[in-house]
Amino acid sequence: MGYVYIPVQNSREEVRVALDQLPRDVTDILDILKAEQAPLNLWLTFAREYFKQGKEKEFLLILQEGSSPEIDEYYSEVKYDRIAILNALGAYYTNLGKVEQKQRERESNFISATQFYNRASRIDQDEPTTWVGKGQLLLAKGELDQSYELFKIVLEGQPDNVTAILGQACVQFNRSRYQDALNLYKKAMQIHPRCPASVRLGLGLCRYRLGQVKKARQAFERVLQLDPENVEALVALGVMNINTNEPDGVREGLENMKAAYEIYPYCSMALNHLANHFFFKGQHYIVDQLMDAALASTDHLRNKAVSYYNLARSYHTKGDYTNAAVFYRASVQELKDAQEFSLPYYGLGQVHLKLGDLKTSLVHFEKVLEAHPDNCETLKAMGIIYLQQGRQDKALENFKKATKQSPRDVDAWIELGELLVSTDVGQALEAFKIAHNLLTKNEDPVPFGLLNNIGVLHFERNELEAALQAYREALGEGIWVEFSEGRSLSLCREGALPISITADKPQFEQLEEEGLSLEVPGEKVTVLFNLARLYEQQYETQKAIILYQLIVYKHPEYADAYMRLAALALARNDFAASHELVSRVLKVTEDHADALSVRGNLELKADDWLKAKETYKSVQNVDGNHSYALLALGNWNYYAAVRGERKDPKLEATHLEKAKELYQNVLVRKPNNMYAANGIGIVLAEKGIFDLSKEVFTQVQEAAAGNIAVEMPDVWINLAHIYLAQGQFALAVKMYQNCLRRFYYNTESHILLYLARTHYEAEQWQDCKRTLLRAIHLVPSNYTLRFDAAIAMQKFSTAILQRPKRTADEVRQSVAELKNALRLFSQLSGVAASHGHGFDQKKVDMHVEYCKHLLDAAKVHLEAAEREEQQNRQKQEVARQLHQAEEARRKAEEERKQQMERRLREEEASRLQREEEKLRNLMANWNTRKDVDEEEENAGEKKEKKEKNRKKKEKKRDQFLEPEEDVNYNRSPTPGEEDEQDALAAAGLLAESEEEYLRREAPPAKKGRLRRSLYELDDGDDTRRRNTTEEQFVDSDAENPGGLEDSDTEEQRPVKRRRGKQTRVSESDED
Amino acid sequence: MKIRSLKNLTNAHNDSIWAVTWAPATADRGALLITGSVDESVKLWKGDELELDRTNTGHSLGVVSVAAHPSGTVAASTSLDSFVRVFDVDSNATITTLETAPSEAWLIQFDPKGEILAVAGGGSGSVKLWNTNNWRMEVPLTLPQAEASEGRSSEKHSGSGKFVLAVAWSNDGKRLACSTMNGVVAIFDAVRGKFLHTLEGHSMPVRSMAFSPVDTRVLFTVSDDKHVHMYDVESRSLISAFSGHASWVLSVDVSPDGSCLATGSSDRTVRLWDLNMRAAVQTLSDHSDQVWSVAFRPPGGDGVRAGRLASVSDDRSISLYEYT
Repeated sequence: MGYVYIPVQNSREEVRVALDQLPRDVTDILDILKAEQAPLNLWLTFAREYFKQGKEKEFLLILQEGSSPEIDEYYSEVKYDRIAILNALGAYYTNLGKVEQKQRERESNFISATQFYNRASRIDQDEPTTWVGKGQLLLAKGELDQSYELFKIVLEGQPDNVTAILGQACVQFNRSRYQDALNLYKKAMQIHPRCPASVRLGLGLCRYRLGQVKKARQAFERVLQLDPENVEALVALGVMNINTNEPDGVREGLENMKAAYEIYPYCSMALNHLANHFFFKGQHYIVDQLMDAALASTDHLRNKAVSYYNLARSYHTKGDYTNAAVFYRASVQELKDAQEFSLPYYGLGQVHLKLGDLKTSLVHFEKVLEAHPDNCETLKAMGIIYLQQGRQDKALENFKKATKQSPRDVDAWIELGELLVSTDVGQALEAFKIAHNLLTKNEDPVPFGLLNNIGVLHFERNELEAALQAYREALGEGIWVEFSEGRSLSLCREGALPISITADKPQFEQLEEEGLSLEVPGEKVTVLFNLARLYEQQYETQKAIILYQLIVYKHPEYADAYMRLAALALARNDFAASHELVSRVLKVTEDHADALSVRGNLELKADDWLKAKETYKSVQNVDGNHSYALLALGNWNYYAAVRGERKDPKLEATHLEKAKELYQNVLVRKPNNMYAANGIGIVLAEKGIFDLSKEVFTQVQEAAAGNIAVEMPDVWINLAHIYLAQGQFALAVKMYQNCLRRFYYNTESHILLYLARTHYEAEQWQDCKRTLLRAIHLVPSNYTLRFDAAIAMQKFSTAILQRPKRTADEVRQSVAELKNALRLFSQLSGVAASHGHGFDQKKVDMHVEYCKHLLDAAKVHLEAAEREEQQNRQKQEVARQLHQAEEARRKAEEERKQQMERRLREEEASRLQREEEKLRNLMANWNTRKDVDEEEENAGEKKEKKEKNRKKKEKKRDQFLEPEEDVNYNRSPTPGEEDEQDALAAAGLLAESEEEYLRREAPPAKKGRLRRSLYELDDGDDTRRRNTTEEQFVDSDAENPGGLEDSDTEEQRPVKRRRGKQTRVSESDED
Repeated sequence: MKIRSLKNLTNAHNDSIWAVTWAPATADRGALLITGSVDESVKLWKGDELELDRTNTGHSLGVVSVAAHPSGTVAASTSLDSFVRVFDVDSNATITTLETAPSEAWLIQFDPKGEILAVAGGGSGSVKLWNTNNWRMEVPLTLPQAEASEGRSSEKHSGSGKFVLAVAWSNDGKRLACSTMNGVVAIFDAVRGKFLHTLEGHSMPVRSMAFSPVDTRVLFTVSDDKHVHMYDVESRSLISAFSGHASWVLSVDVSPDGSCLATGSSDRTVRLWDLNMRAAVQTLSDHSDQVWSVAFRPPGGDGVRAGRLASVSDDRSISLYEYT
């Protein structure tokens, strides 16, 4: 208990005032002080005491009185105490200004402080405490540099002025020069080892900032040793403890905070930390209370922000998003930017996201991201928002960044994977796998969902084994393992089918009675379904069926399993079972759109057109956007348009138009629907707009090729149809063949029929026949194929027999084919009567008659051919002889020429000899030498000329030979044969065919008629095919592929070529 | 139980090969492999090197089926022209030509004793039988009309469904099975020439069947529905169903010891199934196109230790495997 003794004037007595019993009315004290003319330092003592007790008013009153002009005058000698009073006032106002938030009052406080300090300076401008005070004022105003200068001035005078040193330390701390600050604090301690604990606090903070955690901790602990109730040190220690992030540390930290709270319940920092603790303990009401207290007790912006944040967070977790938003916003308002404290921004983002205000949410998250560009959580949150806004690429970018930033963030990888699923299966899978690996590494349970997704993606990439593994991992132990291994696969007892595709309840029940657990946990059903789907893909149909049935046995509401079973039954042509399964779905859910669609399909298969249409329409009533039903209706209309023998062009057009409309409807809803696009293509083709439809089909084909999950053989077939319709037979053949092999394992007889049709149009009768034989082998019960094959053989025979030139072998072959055709036709004529396969008995009989007739004719042809062959041989002989003669003649001619040349040369030689002789004769006569030289030169020139001539001639001969050889290659593939005679023979043949060509320009009337009757037969063929296949839009009636024309060009070609050569020869002659 | 590829003879024929069978060994020679192709020829092959023994011509249109008499000296072939040519294996002398007109002749099989040749009669909805002693036609076994088109109202053309594709004799010669395009499998009492019943389970063409050589009650059927079924023909029950082929299963044969099944499929593979495990144990991909026929070599002959399996395909090749 302290006392202050006020000396009584003019006596030795003193008035004792107990400090803890200061009079409530300050005027009492003042009166005593004034009356006794007490020393000024006592005034200050009392003022300080009042201040300590929080009685600021009294404090001010004493000091104001103590600094009044009268006192100044009276105590004018007591400079130091006057200054001290003024400085105290200055310090007081400095502090007021420091904590004041309102700018104006803050300013006015600082101004007051400045005035007091100035007054103090006027008393003694060298007083260091004034300088220190001024320095602190500037420090409070944030003018760090000037403040530092002032402290420096003080220190120049008094190097050991601790206050100045501390001031400087403070400046340095605020300048973030923690090392410098630390040094200054150290210096202060050296000078004044017993300085207040708070100096050590500064030391601790510096160390903390410098990352010297251990030393910082020592400093704080020392502070607490000296002053166990130092709240700041407690809080600082608490923060440090909590930041250790270890359970013990956090607990200790909280203890510190609690201690701080008990000592001083208004320390907002401690309150905030405590609130944080209780928040995580879920005791929200405590949080609210603490924060109310904290908000009431602090003006520190950041702490307030934290307090508001804690409050908001508390509301946030309680699901009160509106209030949460209010407090988050309050928190944000206390802050300059997200750099300072980003959590409330994040909270605002989250709350707005919850409230569905994506835009605002995004704005706040963006702010967080500005402050922390690599924050994974924010990146993820923004990714989700982008995703909801449909900005896939942005979302993707965010998640990619998030996974890059924190490659161990499972959620980010999963999100990224899910985002990629629709665009890049491979990368999606990669992301999922990383998540999976992270989880297994941490020995965390891997969620089914993730495993299921991995499985599904593998499945989509056709990596069935990997998919199997993922599903198995997801499913764990259960009865399905038995089924998958093939054990318990046959549930059979004697006399029962092993697994009926329609459910097998009694058998499952029996298994359960035998003690097998058939439990399928609800969350595993989907995975099990996927596993079954996988078995289906692996053609392990039996396993698939039993799994599907297990699903529906335990979860009868799982319609998809029924649907797959129905599909499997349909694939086996088991329409009854399929129908039953679909009905079962419809019994549970009357308006199951998919089930209705399948039912529609089944009805269509059963040829119940009207019912099918009704069913499809009912799907539309259930779900107007069900694109499958729309598509099916489109198909329905298309089939209706091209169906039936009695085609009504008007009806056809309306149906087509309707079909197109429906397809377009689907495309509007789903622009990527390949089937609808394919439909549009068909309608276009049906209307004869081939170029456009080809474009459509090509695009669909490309799209389908890029998607593993989609198999669209139809579009290949349609493209081939277009090629066929446009007469590009080779391309059509290639396309059909590829389609057949790629999608059907060569088992689709319809495509074989199209292929045969193409060969037929291209007049490749043998290929046509062979293709049809293959088709017959696949579907022997389809008699139309036999009919077509017979037609092809008949055509082949006629074509050969009509050929103006054929070998006896060819005719023999054609007769054999004709016999086959006849046999087939006769056979058909037999079955047609009893079965009615859709073709006309009369027509078959007509063919039989025709073939017989042709066979008779063929005999004549055969004889003719054999005769012709004989004649040809003779002609060839003649030609050969002729050629030989010609050759002989030419040889003789050449011989003659050579002789001539030889003679010429000899002459020349003799002439030269003569000249030489002459020369020799004239040897002596030197004058004439020049002439001789000239002459010699001339002679040389001539020689050269002659040589050139000869070369030219040889060239000419080469060119003559060339075309002949050419022809030779054309006729018989024996290259390298240089026998001139052969070449000549070939030339002879050529001439003959030319003759014939001329002869054939006016073909005999009889042949023409024959041809026409053949075409009539073909027409019948065409219309029949129209009924059986969907190749309808291939219209072949129009064109007449005139075999004559074709053969003409074939024959002409070599002739033309020869002419070309001839002209060139004549050109070279002119040279 | 294992098969191992020995040889793949490419371009064994000039076109797709649709039929294969073994002519059992005789006193003078070992077993011969007989193949039939779309190229209208039937070829005979010797030994493990598949040395061409002879080429028989005489068929027009593709050869659909070949069958050998248990004696090994006589064989028969049918083609799309519906003639059945019966010939001497060693001399190629035509013994007789049978005509089934107006119906087709599809797969054919001699009964185990060699007394009767059964011919799947295609559109006639019957199995035609010939006595091999005098080559006289016996009373055909006809599918009852009701059974043939039972419950398949969807068949657009009446009659196309009951097209009889394949026949199979039980090992004791007492039962004859025939199968149709719409998946009906009918069982006849061959001794009394009586239709017994049908077997349920397939709704798509059944192109090949085989009885177990060790259990006369057991019949294996394969179908376009990608399944192999195992039936007890007496109780009419489906014992087991095998799935795994990716496309139509075109042919089936049982190993001589009755423990294994070989199937050929449009999916270009030959599969070996273990009947004890009731699962596929091997998948062979020697062929590059549909495998139309598979055949185990019957036991017997000199110096023959291991079994042989042959398969033929649209890819014009013959594959020979060792079966152990």
